[in-house]
Amino acid sequence: MAYAVLQKGRFDDFIVALAAQRKVMAPVSKGYGHFEFEEVRSATEIALRYIPTILPPKKYFMPQRETILQYTSDSIEAVVDFDPMAIFGVHTCDLAGIQCLNMVFSERPKDYNYLVRKNNIIIIGLECGDYCDQYASCAMMNSEMPNGGYDLFVTEFDEYLLFHVSTQTGEDIVKSTGLFETADASHKSRLAEYRKKKKSIFKKELPIDSKDIALLFDKCFESKVWDELNDRCLACGNCNNVCPTCYCFDVIDEPALDLTSGVRYRRWDSCQLETFARVAGGANFRENRGARQRHRYYRKFSYPVKKFFRYFCTGCGRCSRACMANIRLKDVLMDLIKAHPLDNA
Amino acid sequence: MARPKVAFFDFSCCEGCQLQIANFGEPLLDILKLIEVVEFREVMSEKYAGTLDVAIIEGSINTTHAIERIKGIRDRSKVLIAMGSCATIGGVNGIKNAFPLNDIAEYVYGGDSEYFESIQTMSVHQVVKVDYFVHGCPIYPPEFVAVLKAVLMAVPYDVPDYPVCVECKLNGNVCMYDRGVTCLGPVTRAGCNAWCIGNGNICYGCRGMVSNPNEKGSIDVIRRYGLSMEHIINKLEMYNKCRELNPHG
Amino acid sequence: MNRQILKSSHFAVERGTIVRIKTLSPHEKLFEIALPGNARLNHDPGQFVGVSVFGVGEAPISVCSSPTKRDTFDLCIRDVGRVTHAIHALKEGGSLGIRGPFGRGFPVRLLEGNDLVLIAGGLGIVPLRSLVQYVINNRRDFGKVSILLGCRTPDEMLFGDEIEQWNKRIDVHFACTVDRAAPEWHGHVGVITTLIPGEMLVPERTFAVIVGPPVMYKYVIGELLKKQIPDRQIIVSLERHMKCGLGRCGHCQIENLYCCQDGPVFHYDEIKHIKEAI
Repeated sequence: MAYAVLQKGRFDDFIVALAAQRKVMAPVSKGYGHFEFEEVRSATEIALRYIPTILPPKKYFMPQRETILQYTSDSIEAVVDFDPMAIFGVHTCDLAGIQCLNMVFSERPKDYNYLVRKNNIIIIGLECGDYCDQYASCAMMNSEMPNGGYDLFVTEFDEYLLFHVSTQTGEDIVKSTGLFETADASHKSRLAEYRKKKKSIFKKELPIDSKDIALLFDKCFESKVWDELNDRCLACGNCNNVCPTCYCFDVIDEPALDLTSGVRYRRWDSCQLETFARVAGGANFRENRGARQRHRYYRKFSYPVKKFFRYFCTGCGRCSRACMANIRLKDVLMDLIKAHPLDNA
Repeated sequence: MARPKVAFFDFSCCEGCQLQIANFGEPLLDILKLIEVVEFREVMSEKYAGTLDVAIIEGSINTTHAIERIKGIRDRSKVLIAMGSCATIGGVNGIKNAFPLNDIAEYVYGGDSEYFESIQTMSVHQVVKVDYFVHGCPIYPPEFVAVLKAVLMAVPYDVPDYPVCVECKLNGNVCMYDRGVTCLGPVTRAGCNAWCIGNGNICYGCRGMVSNPNEKGSIDVIRRYGLSMEHIINKLEMYNKCRELNPHG
Repeated sequence: MNRQILKSSHFAVERGTIVRIKTLSPHEKLFEIALPGNARLNHDPGQFVGVSVFGVGEAPISVCSSPTKRDTFDLCIRDVGRVTHAIHALKEGGSLGIRGPFGRGFPVRLLEGNDLVLIAGGLGIVPLRSLVQYVINNRRDFGKVSILLGCRTPDEMLFGDEIEQWNKRIDVHFACTVDRAAPEWHGHVGVITTLIPGEMLVPERTFAVIVGPPVMYKYVIGELLKKQIPDRQIIVSLERHMKCGLGRCGHCQIENLYCCQDGPVFHYDEIKHIKEAI
């Protein structure tokens, strides 16, 4: 395992050096306790301590609006727009989210737009030593510890940042900037201590084993819990739009003013919106808000388990933070646990 | 191919939506390659009495004279676009409908009120058939262009039927409620790219409400944020009072 | 921002030429489409294509001709939304975008050697027509073939001339019903389920294929189960809002299934426990 040490006094030099190579995106404070990934040019702009950003770093892999085709009266071309970039400061929950999306878009038929962008993004993770707030359930979703999916991974200590170098790309960055020192045994033992302490802080947030959540969902499709959500959900789609693993999209044409040329783009869409499952004839296959909320939960805790053998919830807590109707993921799961006790529990 | 003849007409309004178009800047030149503007009081003195391909209406309808006039325009127009909140949902002029007509007339015209007729404010589609809606106070210029393209391509334009929150979130904005401010984004239909919130203001609901708001859920939210119903209703009625006459459109 | 042309993208669209347009009803037109160089679409009966009018958008349309027709293919399109409205405005010789075919079509190999009951309600005739044509063009590969059609009124019946030809064939049993008769109608009156009890079906060797409006499936399947047709041998084609055709955009999802990739054709045993399906 390769580690490298960056003294805090050199952090700004590092970001400046990295920004000279490619765009650098990092969490930035937006006030009111909120953060967002934005382009930065120096370390002073970066919030090293932050709670999950309003939008997840998904937006760089699958932009909110993305041109997929351009056409004129005599040509049609499939296109991809991309920017080589490095995303600094990705928490472990969001690394897990990106891993989920990688599976979805790498599966056949492959999504080349996603894959081209993915290949142009360098990921630098950042460890959380403590919970961000009461909405997180990362321990339950096993995403509180780094579990791959990054080129470099940073753990912050008082005087220095310890980088885990995971890929050759990461190694190249460390070498090219010339700002790092080699880590020795003391650095590694300090990391081990840090992780040990972390294990005592992060505890399974709900009284259910991770592997049992899928079993719970096998028996709660017709639960009254969903009816209750029908009364509360405003169908604003916030939970979808902030989710690191939601990937539904709409496809829209935008003609230019000549009306003969233009672009086709895809845009994030939300299964919570009224029109999402409506067909042209008018039939709506998920008219009830409760059924739409159920669909969202099943897309996190049941359907992907069948297809990708993992949960598509990272425990980041964004859906709970963004919900005006106070629909909190941990509460909903707790209601389900209470209403549908598992036989072995 | 002859460019379609387009005319702008104003009823009860501030003409601010037409000003948005006059202020378009460079894109206006491209638009004028596609259409022939034959009447537009705010920017030209010519009038046009013939058959129109497209009539663009700003303003709400609140006199019997206006009813006759809009019917006449409708009769000679192949396509009719309602532009701006006053035209599409009644807009601020609808506040009038919250009061007895006589009181309103007296308040405005005093002793001369008997000489002025007063009827309830209506949006354009509450009087004549409207083919296209460009909501907003004022209109959001990119949406006007999108609607115009749809008109020229002879396809419908579907106004988004989901709340402003969708576009607001996509833009990564901090929620106004997290800033401690009341915003009508959650019940107002999108299409403006959360223009106001993106510029630091709240949503005033100028585009009208989504067709199926969750009323019970909204009341829960209003309570949870410690807001009074009266406060919210006042905010909603600033643009949406005419909804009671006919909520669709 | 760099823009790169993608040599392989599942969003790539081919330009199809409209060879012929036939008006079938006030709302439906039949478009015969040729791909560049008369290339074969290479579809299975029951698959669909994304049809684009650039600047307006793309709509999923099931191919309603058999792959045995090689140089062109047919799309029967109802004027019901933005895109289909724009398609209806196109003229012969005009072009539209074609992407696909997508999805899992009817399992024709599995049907071979067996008796078939092909059941369509309303617009269900459109996707089913590709299978009917395929079966007729390969008639000796199949056992007894029954076609049961239903629609609301006689004038809503599409492909009247063609259906008349099916009716005249000695190797096809044909029955048709309408919910509400018109004066000149001399056929059966009643919902489509009323045609099933009278059919002589051998459960071990009968496959039933059902395509119709969402409300129809439950009742027709109920009648077939009464006839002891096994779940596996009941085949349905489901309608959903198919958009990307790639099993990703989410609009067509039925619980864990993507209708555009896992379907639109399903065996009943695959979906009978799926509550969102029918």
